[in-house]
Amino acid sequence: MKKIKAKNVNVAYGSKQALFDINIDIEEKQVTALIGPSGCGKSTFLRCLNRMNDVIDICKVTGEIYINDFNILDKNCDVVRLREKIGMVFQKPNPFPKTIYENIAYGPTIHGMTQSKVEMDEVVETSLKKAALWNEVKDRLHEIGTGLSGGQQQRLCIARAISVRPEVILMDEPCSALDPIATAQIEELIDELKNEHTIIIVTHSMAQAARVSQNTGFFHLGNLIEYGLTDKIFKNPENQKTQDYITGRFG
Amino acid sequence: MNNNAPHTVKSYEIELVNLNNNIVKMGTLCEEALRRSIKALITNNAEEADKVIKNDEEIDKYENLIEQQVVNLIALRQPLAIDLRETVTALKISSDLERIGDLSKNIAKRSLLLSNKLNNNLIDIFTALSEKVQKQLKSVIDSYLERSSSIAIDVWENDEKVDEMTNQCMQASIDFLKEDKNNLQNGTHLLFVSKNLERMGDHTTNIAEQVYFLVRGEYLEGDRPKNSEIKNT
Repeated sequence: MKKIKAKNVNVAYGSKQALFDINIDIEEKQVTALIGPSGCGKSTFLRCLNRMNDVIDICKVTGEIYINDFNILDKNCDVVRLREKIGMVFQKPNPFPKTIYENIAYGPTIHGMTQSKVEMDEVVETSLKKAALWNEVKDRLHEIGTGLSGGQQQRLCIARAISVRPEVILMDEPCSALDPIATAQIEELIDELKNEHTIIIVTHSMAQAARVSQNTGFFHLGNLIEYGLTDKIFKNPENQKTQDYITGRFG
Repeated sequence: MNNNAPHTVKSYEIELVNLNNNIVKMGTLCEEALRRSIKALITNNAEEADKVIKNDEEIDKYENLIEQQVVNLIALRQPLAIDLRETVTALKISSDLERIGDLSKNIAKRSLLLSNKLNNNLIDIFTALSEKVQKQLKSVIDSYLERSSSIAIDVWENDEKVDEMTNQCMQASIDFLKEDKNNLQNGTHLLFVSKNLERMGDHTTNIAEQVYFLVRGEYLEGDRPKNSEIKNT
């Protein structure tokens, strides 16, 4: 089932067009990887999905992006509600300079999702368990989140993202600042999370895209060159540009 | 080699080119081994037979070398798409070539055990089969070199003819055996030689399937044409 349908999405930063007529359907409860060289538009596209580009004054987005058949680019879209449904994890772990508990509790609090301390405790515990961090932090929930290791901080950010039970999780190079063990933990987590969430991950690691995703899209110079099943893309891509990129032959 | 642009990392490009060259060299050695083993059989030429037996070591060395290169590529380069197919098919093709080398060596060894020269009828019929297998082997090496799936399909389809000619050789060997009990030794060796040539045809066809996968990225579908009918005598 398609969770997200993007139709003729164009993005321009001032006079510089960053995305050209992107059409892509994202499968629900699967992992979709977006790959491509730096500046190809993959992160720009990712940021369209939760209207993050709104904060850039010169950025103009046109086209339609349907999530659950609702066009999120519509001017009537409530962006705060949208971001409750669409969580995001960034390249560099960015926990709030607050305790581990407060990091998780922040989202449910501002969205008014819990009524009591007991309920909040449960959300914090469930979120940390789902992010495979609970066992490592359960005895120090009131210590500051930025005191954790890089890999733990990134899992804390994932726990923070899933605390508001988003339907979609966007990940922008979530492992690029992590060591191989922490990367493997995040990848295992992604595999678990896809049972309940639709995940879109931007990555520069071909191997990571191949390992974690079911579908892969290759962007180049603002165009979606090829999109399809991950095993097809990495074994026998249709497009010569895709082949040249994933085999390390790019210009 | 494929027509893709060169890799950004030149050493990776060189490793893939070397792998490709080693397959071609190994294939050429196998062609020579087959040609010489049949010459040894037909002409009772012990010198040729010894060369085949000795040169098989060289073929085995290439198989080991290619295996090491493939393991290194997978471990150090993590090849994808066409490079992945190049790497995986090289491993499988080298394994089939090694078997072809062994089967040639086996024919050479049997040629040394023949008690006298073969009659003209047997020479003609075994020459025809071996020439067909040599042609198949040459074509499949060409298909690899040229990355030609159409040549690979031709080889694949022509295996039926090899089977048919093998049956004729086996029949002729059986007839030869029945003529005179003194033919027992030569006739038995010829039966094994027939089977060896037929197996070489099968390995050649396996290589054709690998070349098809290498070029097209998909497997050759359907059953291989076969002619396995041996008359009841």
